[in-house]
This record gives sequence, C-alpha cells and structure tokens, in this order.
Amino acid sequence: MKSLLATLALTTALTLPGLAMARPVTLTTALTNYGGDGAYLALYVTDASGAYAGSLWMAGGKSKYYKHLSDWYRATGGDTAQVNGITGASVGAGRMLEITLDLADALFDAGYTLHIDAAVEDMRDSPNEVAVPLTTTGAGTPVRGRRYVASFAYDM
Amino acid sequence: MKKTLTLLVASTALTAAIGVPAWSTMRVSGGEGLWPLAAHFDEGTQALPLVRVSDDDDDDDRDDRDDDDDDDDRGGARNPAPAGTVAPPQNGLFGTGTAPQVKVN
Repeated sequence: MKSLLATLALTTALTLPGLAMARPVTLTTALTNYGGDGAYLALYVTDASGAYAGSLWMAGGKSKYYKHLSDWYRATGGDTAQVNGITGASVGAGRMLEITLDLADALFDAGYTLHIDAAVEDMRDSPNEVAVPLTTTGAGTPVRGRRYVASFAYDM
Repeated sequence: MKKTLTLLVASTALTAAIGVPAWSTMRVSGGEGLWPLAAHFDEGTQALPLVRVSDDDDDDDRDDRDDDDDDDDRGGARNPAPAGTVAPPQNGLFGTGTAPQVKVN
C-alpha cells in the first residue's frame, strides 16, 4: 500500500510540472474592411532584447509573397520551415481569424512581444502592424493595428 | 589647278573637323571633357540597360499580367506545410506538439 502511494505521488509530481508548462491561448485577429484581397499575416514573437524568437502563425500559404511581410522576412530569411505546421489561409477583409495554440508558459511575463506583419496584394505592406507584450495581465485586452487589423487580443 | 587645290583643302579641313575630335575623345577615357563629344563616348562605355526587342505583337497587353497572379510556384521557394499536416516547429514557443485550431469568421 505504501509503495503504491509512493508511486502515485511520484507520477503526480512528475506529471504536474509538464501540464503547468503550457496552456491553450487563443489569438483573435479582426481585420478592417480595407477593400482588397485576402491579407497575409505573420504572427511571431521577439524576446526581451528584440531578437526573433519564433513564429506562431502564418496566414497565407504561398511563400513567394512572404517578402512583403518584411520584418518577419528579415528575421527569418523567408525560411518556410519556421511556419511548417502553423500555416493557414490568408484572411479576407472584414473577417476574423481565431487561432488556439498550446503555448509555453515561459512566454508570458518574461519580456516577449507578439508581432503581426500584414500585407495585401496591390496595397501597402504593413510590417509591425501590431506589437503587444505578452503578459498575463494583458490577456483579453484588444489592441488596434496600424492599417489592416481592427483589433487583436490573446486570451488564456 | 586652283580649283582642285581648293577642293582638296576643303575636303581635308572637313575630315579634320569631324575626325580629330572623334579620334581624340576616343583616346581620352575618363578625361576632363575636353570636347563636347567626349561625354557621348564616355557614356557609351558604361553598361546600358539591355532592351529586348521581340517581333511578337505586344499591343494587346496580354503580357501585362502581374506575375503575382501566377498560381504555380515552379522554380520558387517551397511553400510551408499547412497546419495539421505536420507538428508545429520545435521553436520553444509551443508547449506540446498539439495541432493548432483555427477558425475564420
């Protein structure tokens, strides 16, 4: 009996930190009615020093357009491996994109910033359309973009 | 005799007037612009944009389509794998390999 309890305690102790290390986070991006084709959006994170840390989502599947997401492109060199498995369709004007990701807890309250670069065919590119610090207190607070994003918020 | 001599002098003068500036500007490369024609020759030594001339009739604007409308990506960079087909990248941002859930309204 004692050994069973000890085993259970050990497995619980080993499992709990793993569960606590990540949480589902929903990123909601609403676009303005800018009157153009579907927007390409790159959602990525920089660390406290401003260095590129990684990508969270790419809206738009054709890599030949990625150069228009200029800040993301500069940081990654357009490396499509950065967005393998986290790429979806471009987002139409006036539409809302909702992505739920299992994100590491270490991203929050540690100086990380979430950025969105946006680009629309035959319209002006908008690097750093949104830049929002990732904090637990900032969750659920909508932020307005510069050109194409009407609002962006992350919820957890 | 006098007439022949006059013709010879005139033709020599004409040749000299045209030939000497041309000859001297060809010899002086990157000079101080001693002759007005020097500029023309100097420009001629620089690479000019290549203009392609085709006998195709382009007046119907068929070739004015933007390359960005081209749907095939032959020769370009490879497109990324769509969400759900492979696990998200191991960049330290994702807690597990759980596939993202996406909804567009």
